[in-house]
Amino acid sequence: MHELSMCQSLVDAVLQEMGRVQPPPKKLVAARMAVGALHQVVPENMTFAYEILTKDTAAAGSRLDIRWIPVTAKCRACGWTGSVEIPFFLCGSCNSGDLELLTGKELFLENLEVEQ
Amino acid sequence: MKPENIKVYRDLMGENEKWAAETRALLQKHKLIMINLIGAPGCGKTTLLESIVGMLKDIRVAVLEGDVETTRDAERISKLQIPVSQLITGGACHLEAKLVHYALKDLPLEDLDLVVVENVGNLVCPAEFDVGEHAKIAVLSVTEGEDKPLKYPLLFRECKAAVLTKIDLLPYVPFNIDACCENIRQVNAGIPIFKVSSMSGAGLSEWCAWVSKFQG
Repeated sequence: MHELSMCQSLVDAVLQEMGRVQPPPKKLVAARMAVGALHQVVPENMTFAYEILTKDTAAAGSRLDIRWIPVTAKCRACGWTGSVEIPFFLCGSCNSGDLELLTGKELFLENLEVEQ
Repeated sequence: MKPENIKVYRDLMGENEKWAAETRALLQKHKLIMINLIGAPGCGKTTLLESIVGMLKDIRVAVLEGDVETTRDAERISKLQIPVSQLITGGACHLEAKLVHYALKDLPLEDLDLVVVENVGNLVCPAEFDVGEHAKIAVLSVTEGEDKPLKYPLLFRECKAAVLTKIDLLPYVPFNIDACCENIRQVNAGIPIFKVSSMSGAGLSEWCAWVSKFQG
């Protein structure tokens, strides 16, 4: 259940960002987080943690949306760039394992949907 | 009224990263190397540590033992007459950077060369958290199955070396070690793989040599 630790950071960030919105919003409808597909995040665990951790806060009752970011890489051997079929981490062109990760490890809050 | 979208960008590992960065600075100040052993419960992490501490003769080692409960592993390691702290997570399935940082600060850093973190037995969660280490090391025993690198790709992707333990049991278990190495290669080509037995001593000198030379 590492989602609980991650979700605590998420809820902290949501509440801080809500505090910055001017004029102060009436309520939060949804928060969207971006998650790189290399992270082992189980969406059900994350939304469950979100529901619990936002209880009795300004974000209570809001929805959590998750946007997945695919794993992409660049091959150091042949220069190929493209998406990688995890768990395999191999070049889609020459099958080399010498890849530079481009995307797939992101974890950030990217959007708040508020009712003014 | 129509809901309004507000774009934000907030990294969610920021707090953990902050502590990990402090740990890296502390390690650098004292010219220390820190490695983080990650593997399933019972894969032989503590036994591996017990068997290599005596072999790392010219290297002054300390251990940070992560567990959900009990100080048993720290008691085992303290018999080797080296500094050790037990980090009890009290239910959490992994170590986070802040806890490791505070434990590290309590070690006699001036008198050390290497700090080994033994993470909570778990192939999933510890792989997600940077604790400021120079290398994560995946530990997998031959009783677990050769497909584990594919089932837990993040750990095998993040690690800088893999150690296959309990190879003395190979004659008794249906474990295809070549297939396992190939699976590791497909997830993270190029990392060294050490095949060891803490019971027979096989492969331990190669593993120790790598640890001794590892410079982060």
